[in-house]
Amino acid sequence: MSSGMWTEKYRPQALDDIVNQRDIISRLKTFVTEKNIPHLLLVGPAGVGKTTSILALAQDLYGPSYRNFVLELNASDERGINVIRDKVKNYARTAAMASSVSFKIIIMDEADHLTGDAQHALRRTMEVYTKTARFCLIGNYSENIIDPIQSRCSVFRYGSLDEADIRDRLTLISEKENLQIVDEGLDALFQASGGDLRKAINMLQAASANGELVDDISVYSLLGSIRPDRVQTMIQLALDGKFLESREALRGILINQGMAPEDIIRITYREIMRHKSLTEQKKVRLSDIIGEVDYRLTQGARPEIQLSTLLGHLSLVGDETR
Amino acid sequence: MTTPQLWTNRYRPKKREDFVGNEQAVEELEKWIKSWRKKPPKKRAAFLYGPPGIGKTSVAQVLAREHDYRLVEINASDTRNKGSIEETLGKAVKQNVTLFGQKRMVLLDEMDGLSGQQDRGGVSAVSKIIDQTTSPMILIANTIEENMQDRFRAILKKVKSIEFKPVSSAQIVSKLEFISEDQGIPVHPDVLMEIAMKSNGDLRSATNDLETIASGKKTVSPDDLTVIGRRDRLESTHNILNKIFTSRDFREARRTINQSMIKYDDLYEWIYENIPIVLDDPYERLEALEALSRADIYQKRARTNDYRLLKYFFDLMTGGIAFARKNSKGEGYRDQLNAAIMGAGFTPSLISTINVPEGIMVKPNRWLGKDKWAKLNTSLRGLGARWVYGKNVWMLPYYREPQAKWRFIRTYHARRRMKSVTRRLAAKTHTSSAKARNEILPLLRHMIRRNEGIYDDLSTWMLDAPKKKLDHLRYMTFAKKPRDFVSLENYSKYKQREMKKRIDNIAKETETDLRNIERWLADEKKNASWSK
Repeated sequence: MSSGMWTEKYRPQALDDIVNQRDIISRLKTFVTEKNIPHLLLVGPAGVGKTTSILALAQDLYGPSYRNFVLELNASDERGINVIRDKVKNYARTAAMASSVSFKIIIMDEADHLTGDAQHALRRTMEVYTKTARFCLIGNYSENIIDPIQSRCSVFRYGSLDEADIRDRLTLISEKENLQIVDEGLDALFQASGGDLRKAINMLQAASANGELVDDISVYSLLGSIRPDRVQTMIQLALDGKFLESREALRGILINQGMAPEDIIRITYREIMRHKSLTEQKKVRLSDIIGEVDYRLTQGARPEIQLSTLLGHLSLVGDETR
Repeated sequence: MTTPQLWTNRYRPKKREDFVGNEQAVEELEKWIKSWRKKPPKKRAAFLYGPPGIGKTSVAQVLAREHDYRLVEINASDTRNKGSIEETLGKAVKQNVTLFGQKRMVLLDEMDGLSGQQDRGGVSAVSKIIDQTTSPMILIANTIEENMQDRFRAILKKVKSIEFKPVSSAQIVSKLEFISEDQGIPVHPDVLMEIAMKSNGDLRSATNDLETIASGKKTVSPDDLTVIGRRDRLESTHNILNKIFTSRDFREARRTINQSMIKYDDLYEWIYENIPIVLDDPYERLEALEALSRADIYQKRARTNDYRLLKYFFDLMTGGIAFARKNSKGEGYRDQLNAAIMGAGFTPSLISTINVPEGIMVKPNRWLGKDKWAKLNTSLRGLGARWVYGKNVWMLPYYREPQAKWRFIRTYHARRRMKSVTRRLAAKTHTSSAKARNEILPLLRHMIRRNEGIYDDLSTWMLDAPKKKLDHLRYMTFAKKPRDFVSLENYSKYKQREMKKRIDNIAKETETDLRNIERWLADEKKNASWSK
């Protein structure tokens, strides 16, 4: 029996095992006792237990064979309207057989990545198939979800986890796995994870892979040995005026890595906005430019050209700064 | 001692597993052949159409043999008029069993040779024969969807049309790889890719080109490509790019669209590739990129709305570029070249660079030593330069070939492997593929490369596919409705077949994933610190 990734091994299996987000969990528990749930919309930062709590709810509701009653979709992988038309509708319209609960659950993770069209199609599906299916939408931001869907759902907002919560969890796992970990190690993991428990656990598992003591040095050397984010690298190359290199980096991301152009532009926007050495003024100007390129992506046929144009703008802005 | 044989014949598919590409079309044809078992089906002829060189005839031959038919081949372009078609074909179809009791199948090849003035009545003669035939007939035409309606209207309703599509470059490359291995002639991968790209999905012409280049040689290097006319194309493209990048005359730049030996989509890629190389000033570079960016949008609009919008696309991709250049000397390449030379630890006095018509000649002034030569060679190759044997110089062409397509082909297998790995990882950790790849995979890789125990544990974990009930598949929509069938019984049989197909597809996908994940794990093992 293999134990796999610790995030899965130590994922709480029942609502009772979840220690934080107490208010939300107690509401979810009443749904289980009543054997009925409304459509749900769970929003909050990454790695705070949104998916975990809905999976735990499903296990409490359906028992060990819960997988047969749950359809997990990831909207960032399948974000178009066709997914809603085919997969979701067909799954939604069949009743849950051989279960004391009459409906099935459709989990749409990263629902804030669904296109507008897909969301509109979903709205109708949610209404028509209420008898046989409940939807649970999960996302980071509720702004990206259209109002008609929000109004059909009970919205739960997950807060970020306390440092103590994360440290407790990491300590618990370390004890069970017989790891040696010191306080500095826990501090470093918390800092590097930015409050994302999944990230923290993954890093703990990686940092302890060589079987030695986990301290701040081993955590930071782990971070150093992992390649920096490719989109960040691309942006920095462009800002440094190394246009050709940044275009090669773009090709690496688009072609080798196969990242969707929309995701590249989304991450670029995020990185520019929190860039340390760009002035506020430049950020406003770049927001306009990124917005235009984002729009052109939907209008043009060659994503690489459009994104390259963005790199051209970035290297010009960088040129003015130097 | 075997008699020499053309490679296209020698490597023609002999059995079903040899087919490259067009899996769906092959399946359709096979299904139609099977439908003849009891009695002749409604559609007594199958019509295979598509561009040349992608295996239409071979597929028919192989499937006929595998289903125990004796294939009677008739070449339509030999029997061109109504009378001769009725004579040869009529005879063949009336007797459905050969003297030795084997079933007959009739293959009418090169149907496109039929139309035209002197073949008046050719297609309608075939049409009549389809009505009478008691043997399965396979008709083949080198044509594409758009041209088909006019030429073959008379028969289209009576036949089962099956479209064959061009074979993907990646599939052609792997077939060519197989051939070169079988012949024992190592061929440089760049050459295989160039042949595949040039063939536009025509596997036969690719095989011919490979034979032209490679036969009788011990090894094949990129220099041998000149034989297949690559050189002319490159020279003409360089001239065109020169006009576009250096012209101060809009009309001259605009005219290049018609002078180009390559398609305008390819020319666009060439321009895009070379903008940052020719234009070193960030303002000018941006102006040129903006022109291409807007050109791209016009082209998309032209495709979706009206082709008259295409002229703006042409204007922007030629004139827009011509006027972007103001101060740039167009020496971006030279700067890069100098950087590469300095980066490899050489002073300019050791290496001389000379402008010649084809590009920049890079000449070592004295013997560099093997290691230093290799170092410089790597960085110059990165720029697109090639070492010219005999002359002992590097040649760096002024314009670089578009790289994106090549990268796409080169990474084909790696990408498919990665897709399987991230899909599995995403399903196992309840995240998106993007997150699995960007956030989890680097950490996973870190652990399995450092610790054999963790490698063993996590590889078992990765290979264990989550099992799910597939009963919701039954409720998926079906393409055909009950009214398309004579009885409800047939409809439910159809649904069962479709269901089975879907479940089989899922099983196949799982199997591919498994294979890809195994390969990935094996690669990781090779790179692991504990296995060294």
